[in-house]
Amino acid sequence: MKIIASYSIKGGVGKTAASVNLAYASAKAGNETLLVDLDPQGASSFYFRIGASKKENRGYFFSKKNRLLKQIRGSNYKRLDILPANLSFRNFDIMLNNMSKSKKRLKDILSSLENEYDLIILDCPPNINLLSENVFNAADMVLVPVIPTTLSERTYEQLLTFFKNNGYKRKIIHPFFSMAQSKNSLHHQSIADLEKRHPEFLKSIISFSTEIERMGIHREPVLAYASKKSYVQSYRTLFNEIVKILGKKK
Amino acid sequence: MKTSKINDTRYLLPDDLTKKHFIETLKSYFSVKQIENTSENFSILETFEWNLYRHNILAVRHQNQSITLWNEENLFDDELSFEIEEINARDKFWWDFPDSEAKDILKPMIDLRALHPVYKGVLKIETLNLQNDDGKVLVFCQLISIYEPEKPRTPVMRQVSLSPVTGYGREYEQAVKLLASMQSFKPSLTPLDSLLGAIGLAPTPYTVKPVFKFPHTLSARSAVSSIITTMIEKQRLTEQGIVKDIDTEFLHHYRVAIRMVRAAIVQLREVFPAQDVSMLKQRFGDLARETNHLRDLDVFILDKQRYMDLLPESMKNDLLPMFDDFEKNRQVEAKRISRWIGSRAYRQEMDELQALFINGYSAVETQWSEKTTIELAVTKIQKTYTKIYKAALKINNTTPDEKIHDIRIDCKKLRYLLYFFGSEFKKKKIKVVANHLKSLQDKLGIFNDLTVQGDFLKNYLLQLEHKPKKDIMLIASLGGLISTLYTMQVQEREKCIKELSIFSNDSNRQLFKETFIINTKRK
Repeated sequence: MKIIASYSIKGGVGKTAASVNLAYASAKAGNETLLVDLDPQGASSFYFRIGASKKENRGYFFSKKNRLLKQIRGSNYKRLDILPANLSFRNFDIMLNNMSKSKKRLKDILSSLENEYDLIILDCPPNINLLSENVFNAADMVLVPVIPTTLSERTYEQLLTFFKNNGYKRKIIHPFFSMAQSKNSLHHQSIADLEKRHPEFLKSIISFSTEIERMGIHREPVLAYASKKSYVQSYRTLFNEIVKILGKKK
Repeated sequence: MKTSKINDTRYLLPDDLTKKHFIETLKSYFSVKQIENTSENFSILETFEWNLYRHNILAVRHQNQSITLWNEENLFDDELSFEIEEINARDKFWWDFPDSEAKDILKPMIDLRALHPVYKGVLKIETLNLQNDDGKVLVFCQLISIYEPEKPRTPVMRQVSLSPVTGYGREYEQAVKLLASMQSFKPSLTPLDSLLGAIGLAPTPYTVKPVFKFPHTLSARSAVSSIITTMIEKQRLTEQGIVKDIDTEFLHHYRVAIRMVRAAIVQLREVFPAQDVSMLKQRFGDLARETNHLRDLDVFILDKQRYMDLLPESMKNDLLPMFDDFEKNRQVEAKRISRWIGSRAYRQEMDELQALFINGYSAVETQWSEKTTIELAVTKIQKTYTKIYKAALKINNTTPDEKIHDIRIDCKKLRYLLYFFGSEFKKKKIKVVANHLKSLQDKLGIFNDLTVQGDFLKNYLLQLEHKPKKDIMLIASLGGLISTLYTMQVQEREKCIKELSIFSNDSNRQLFKETFIINTKRK
């Protein structure tokens, strides 16, 4: 079982779109897949027609495995399950602070799902806090969508600094270009510059498209309703690239 | 390996249940959404030995020239299948297929066997989602129907599979109840067996290796007749495959079966009148000899890559004209053999031979015919082993190759005796003996093959002399190949000598003495 986190300090960069489509691609490739919606806004859950957990039972996530499993719902696709968002996730930090081993709680609880899933994808909320550190400890790969602009580049570098200062392994970070606009010369320039400075950028680039924006109307992964479009295909290419990297790591 | 949550449940639908009634019943609780609906001509592929079935795999060839493999627990699940795309109509061996995971799976399973269609029909797969009014899927449902091509309205089989959606257990139970209310039937067989059974296929795995078990009191002649009858049956099962030239294994097994018949006749000759032995020996020998040349060509062609790899890179392709010759000869020879086995004369000869043994060989009594099987077995095995170890003791570095080949032939005889009579002795000990023998035979086999191959190539080389145009590079590469084979043969010879000294040592002699005795309690 491998764990991927879709993570960025910045909001609105395409984390959820990536999580949802990668999870879909993974299930279609025959992997038992779990998408964990850690974002209290619950966008991932919404896309899969699964309501946010109603109970204000914030304790469940970090407690017993069975209680966690009870919250998991199957999606409309075989082999793709969702752990829906819970509004009380916003209080994670307060809760984690009160627990011992507080930076590894997430890792412990996810590893108990070892026999259930091949891949777990964490859709993370945008910030750096104790929950994020739990994510960094749990994930085999931290996938960071970066819009090719100066501002996004700065936040990406902030993340690298944070990893360095806190002793996390930098090599688990894998950035990719997200919402790139082919007609935007500034984007072109940024991509060229960033690739030079940061060769760790993945080769797959996710373009900006209104089709992806429309996922909210379809309430399906864009791969499910517009799979033939080339800019949609790139999620599948991204997934294949990720599988190769995860395959090399043992 | 991917995790597979095996919790699908399969049901066979009763013949009189209409599709309309089926859907209406599901609609009493769910909203039914049809997701996918495919219908196509398909065939099920197998080998003669049902190798795929034995590995719980189903292979389907589609209209669009692709093959799909499924593990039986994931039958017809597109996302858990292995695909081979863009194959040609004539492709049937694993090496014909483009590189893929599926090819890697097939390679060790089917080896030299060809895949051929064992069933042809129309396959219809309907994916139905059982949902609630919000469009949330509650149960996954798949309806698989198979039709005979000429009867597109009456399915031969309809199977429904239900898969639960995590967190919707109650809805799944409801779907199961609805299926039960339609008198659908949950088969107790494995998914593959129930599918094949429903379309009328009964896998009959073939193996040329016989298993015998004789009643203790059975007369020696009856036992030998029964051995020969079994082997003739095995031989005849391969005939159609040779006639259609499906793969080279048919002829190989045909020859193995005849060899065992001949071994039974010659080695156990005392149970038959002497003049009958020479007649039978001649007739079965003729059958075998007829196929010698085709088998030689098959063996060479199958090993093409190995021969080419024995030469320096720059000379590899120089051998190709020889293989082209072999391929051409093979085609001619295969056609000749196909006609021969398909001929009335052949069939008559086989029917006659088979009739001689099928109800026990009837002839005057001989000294051995009425003794017990076990007496015959012990005497023959001890005698053969004694012959081998005495010969082995005399082997040294100056012994001519022929002597080693003679021992190899005796070892083969011993091996066949173990096939025939192994079950008369203690299982554990037989296993040890058989392992020793196999190790020795493997080495002797390689040594012999190298000699035969060298001779074959020399003959081919001599025959080139008469060709008007001399291909000098072919001649050179043949020279290189013959000398390489010779070097290998010398090395193998040493291994054989070493192995022979182990086989004839005191502890092995003791083992044979203890294992092959009369009045052994069977285990």
